[in-house]
Amino acid sequence: MKLGKYLKPYKLFAILTPLAMIGEVAGDLLQPKLMSQIVDDGVLGKNMSVIIGSGALMILFLIIGGGCGIAASAFGGIASQSFARDLRIDTFKKVMGLSFQQTDKFTTGSLVTRLTTDITAVQQMVDFLLRGVVRDILLFFGGIIMMLTLNVKFGLILVISLPIEIVIMIMILKKANPYYSVVAQKLDNVNCVVQENVTGARVVKAYVRESYEQNRFDNANEELMRSNLKVATLTAILSPILMIILNLSVIAVIMIGGLEVDAARMHVGEVMAAITYLTQVLHGVMMLSMMFQTAARAAASAKRINEVLETEPVITSGSETGLYTKRGTVSFKNVSFSYPDTKGRPVIENFTLDIKQGESIAILGATGSGKSSLVHLIPRFYDATEGTVLVDGTDVREFSLDELRRKVGIVLQKSELFSGTVKDNLLWGDKNATDVDIQKAASIAQADEFVSKMPDTYNSKIAEKGASLSGGQKQRLSISRAVLKKPEILILDDSTSALDLATEAKLRAGLAEEMSQTTLIIIAQRIASIKSCDRIAVLDHGRLCGCDTHENLLKTCSVYKDIYDSQVKTTGGEI
Amino acid sequence: MPPMPPMGPGSRKGGPQGARLTMEKPKNAGATLKKLIKYIGKNKYLFFALIAIMLIITLLNLAAPMIQQIAIDCITITKKRISVDFSGLGKTLVLLGIVYLFSSLFTFLQGICSARLSQYTVKTMRRDLFKNLVRLPIKYLDTHNHGDIMSRMTNDVENISTTVSQSIGSLISGILTIVGTIVIMLIYSPILTLISLSTIFLTIFVSAFLTKFMKKYFVQQQILLGQLNGHVEEMVTGYKTVVSYSKEKDACDDFEKMSNELKKCAVKAQIYGGVMGPCMNLISNFGFILIAAFGGWLAIKGHITIGTIQAFILYSKQFSRPINEIANQYANIQTAIAGAERIFDVMDADKEKDEPKAVFDTENVKGNIIFKDINFSYVPEKPVLNDLDLEVKAGQKIAIVGATGSGKTTIVNLLTRFYPIDSGEITIDGQSIYDIPKDDLRRSIAIVLQDTVLFSASIADNIRYGKADATLDDINKAAAFANADEFIERLPEGYDTLLTEGGSNLSQGQRQLLSIARAVLADPKILILDEATSSVDTRTEMNIQSAMVALMKNRTSLIIAHRLSTIRDADKIVVIDAGKVAEEGSHEELINKKGCYYDLYQTQFSGVKT
Repeated sequence: MKLGKYLKPYKLFAILTPLAMIGEVAGDLLQPKLMSQIVDDGVLGKNMSVIIGSGALMILFLIIGGGCGIAASAFGGIASQSFARDLRIDTFKKVMGLSFQQTDKFTTGSLVTRLTTDITAVQQMVDFLLRGVVRDILLFFGGIIMMLTLNVKFGLILVISLPIEIVIMIMILKKANPYYSVVAQKLDNVNCVVQENVTGARVVKAYVRESYEQNRFDNANEELMRSNLKVATLTAILSPILMIILNLSVIAVIMIGGLEVDAARMHVGEVMAAITYLTQVLHGVMMLSMMFQTAARAAASAKRINEVLETEPVITSGSETGLYTKRGTVSFKNVSFSYPDTKGRPVIENFTLDIKQGESIAILGATGSGKSSLVHLIPRFYDATEGTVLVDGTDVREFSLDELRRKVGIVLQKSELFSGTVKDNLLWGDKNATDVDIQKAASIAQADEFVSKMPDTYNSKIAEKGASLSGGQKQRLSISRAVLKKPEILILDDSTSALDLATEAKLRAGLAEEMSQTTLIIIAQRIASIKSCDRIAVLDHGRLCGCDTHENLLKTCSVYKDIYDSQVKTTGGEI
Repeated sequence: MPPMPPMGPGSRKGGPQGARLTMEKPKNAGATLKKLIKYIGKNKYLFFALIAIMLIITLLNLAAPMIQQIAIDCITITKKRISVDFSGLGKTLVLLGIVYLFSSLFTFLQGICSARLSQYTVKTMRRDLFKNLVRLPIKYLDTHNHGDIMSRMTNDVENISTTVSQSIGSLISGILTIVGTIVIMLIYSPILTLISLSTIFLTIFVSAFLTKFMKKYFVQQQILLGQLNGHVEEMVTGYKTVVSYSKEKDACDDFEKMSNELKKCAVKAQIYGGVMGPCMNLISNFGFILIAAFGGWLAIKGHITIGTIQAFILYSKQFSRPINEIANQYANIQTAIAGAERIFDVMDADKEKDEPKAVFDTENVKGNIIFKDINFSYVPEKPVLNDLDLEVKAGQKIAIVGATGSGKTTIVNLLTRFYPIDSGEITIDGQSIYDIPKDDLRRSIAIVLQDTVLFSASIADNIRYGKADATLDDINKAAAFANADEFIERLPEGYDTLLTEGGSNLSQGQRQLLSIARAVLADPKILILDEATSSVDTRTEMNIQSAMVALMKNRTSLIIAHRLSTIRDADKIVVIDAGKVAEEGSHEELINKKGCYYDLYQTQFSGVKT
């Protein structure tokens, strides 16, 4: 197991745990033996001193055994929880260092599961291995040995009953296992219908399809119930069968015991002890089967965690911390880009463009023409497949990532806010910012107006993922955050789509006034909102087909004119 | 890179399920329990059969140690009998075998019955829950968290299912076993019973004490784990932003702190948890020694037999098990009742009102719509519409324009009766929309929404949503009309292509075309287009546009905030401002008027129209 190395620093505890467990199990195993002594020599032999003596011995063993048990759970806890902590921190650090092509491949949902559910599953398994499995194996074999020391003939019972029990258990579990995935599938179906009806309620109602949906649900519901019942029926068989095997074995023990007692080779108390051992052994089999299932699940989790740990970030930091005088230029030199593991035409093809310091440049093009992909190359969210991207005259791959990302501020298409106050979120831009700085940044981004109307203004709590804010408010806060960062290059990736044109215009005016030295790269859909930029770069299927002012492009670039026409002449732009 | 392995078993438990961590207390347990029992009672034969089976199992389980005791007595050599009583032993063991056999048989029956009882119960609950869910007013769904509603359908129902199948059984058999055990023990020996009971009380006392101690740490552990998972979720989903601001290290530091705290708390919880087992073991064995000592003393005196002592040990073990179980089930039952309460909340929520006073001839709708003195607010004291008046004549094409939040979409919500008006009157062909059956009203209106709603079914079924009895030919025609046939036919399975959840395997434009085809098939007299193409790029839009124009012919159409082309040749443009109609008229009229439409138009296109 590759994750084993995380247990290494705690190997003392990891070794102590099973050792302490042996103490506990020994105590457990000695109990029936002492009990039989109490019964045979004490009660039957009418010897009170044996009862008291053995009783005291038993209490002593119990206290020692119990102490060992407590120690085992403490050691096990320390080992498994420390293991989990280290693994968790390492995995998280790994994830925080991954490149986007890798997080894309894992998908965020799966990464979250790996970091939470999977690690907890592995932690529980470690604890389980150290304590549960050791305990059960010891009890299992110890029970067998103790039974045999009582009377070798009892071995016969075990030879017959053990294999039967194991075989039956494997058979039933094998049969039941595929049904679990069927149940999961049916449950998904039910959830899917509910989900669609909750989110699509307007359409369901508008087309008066309530009873149709009811029918659809009833079918899914019925199927779920049927498959649930199948699993329940199969598992309902298991425990009675195991019980009957156990109980028949008890009868066999009494029978053989009777013969042995008659032949004066055994005492009654020993027969009673044998019954207790037998119960322990057969019970151990059941517990082991449960453990196998848990272990199988945890192994799958461990595999998924390993996949994350073994992923090396594709984009690695350079060493340049460049303190250059030339600030805020961006150059694309013959850049081509394809998303990793995709075929067909590259997203960006042979793109060359120089952006000057303090310039405002817009990037325009149809959905899927590669606008976002292009700007993502600047802060190295992805690396160009061919050609070079330069910032301040230096290849972006030579910068240290921190330095590069300090220079480049990007506001994403989808605003991402974090739980905390408005201020906490803005401070991401500059953690040393004063309240005055914050308010100034917010007013440039046209956010101050609505924030100051919130009950606790900048100290208002933002709900998870900014759910309590409107799309436009989220966008304005994201922009404030980027403004506060005072980057040399500010990229707005279609991040004003939820703002009306008047607000957008004010925002742009604010940026122009306060951040005139900042190079501004804007992606937008509407010509109206970018017309006033110094230059507009027009992208068509990943190629640059023109970069000039609005007026010149209308004359020289047919693609631009097409887009302009579709927005103005044909459909008349948007309201 | 190998394909992604399937999600772990825990993955399905993500999302809203993860939120509830500790045992909850229901608010009104009594009333909820009553309702829950009514649901269980719907299968009363099954329920009583289950109780009967439980009773038999309990009796058999009580009898077994007794018979085992007789068997042990048979092989006990005493002064009176110096050899094993084999004939007695044989008979006893046969009897014991029969008891065990029946016990297993009935345990099997119990498993089957309780599974059925729980499955039937939750199936009915799920059905009733959904039945009300589809009939809830839009307002309910708009104002309640969808994840939370989903979690009631899955999590809470699941909790009830496990509780019914496990807790009820354990509870009944637990109580029966305790009562039975006490009775039998009393019959055997009142003195030994007293000793047994005293250790039982000690068990309860100690476990209650320890649980209280432990719970503190377990609850804290759950809270910390929840926080940690929340942090992970946030940082991973917002990873692009984390990277843009180089916050990876801060995120890791925070995470490390949380992990350390969690570890400390988890170790403590586990240590305290580990004390429980040995303590219980110690007490129960101490009980054994007491019984052995007293029993031995009594046996020496000849008051009881060895078998009795053996039986007593078994019984006292049988005693502590149900007590622990009942204690465990108590927490489960509380959680289930709290879940049931949430389910009944949805189930008992008021349905959409529908009290028709008149019939509505859906075949001959003309499409004259009048809004008169409409007042409406989503939240009291925050009016959205103020005395709004609006008239749409049959066959007219009306464009509604205005800033975000001016109340455009509200007009749609009111006309379709998704929300009830506060005051005023809306009429269609002279009839108040509240006087006619809600379903008839909606059948005469088709809406195409900004967020297309597609269902996980075939493309044909999705279009058929507009008209349940449409033939394939009708569907083809509707798709052709909406310009959707071209892309559908290019799909490998054409109209039979299954859409994944929400239609995510189609582009936004294709989804839009499908919902237009759906509206075409429904063929209503009144058509509402609510920002139907806002998120589609301009080229795709031209495609949709021609479909829309054709669709609007001969219908009363309401278009909300659309591209200018549609607005321009609308019969009337209505500008909504602050919940009132600010201006209305044709494009030219309004431009010449130089009012607020002119302003809107100018700010919008000042850049372009130079």
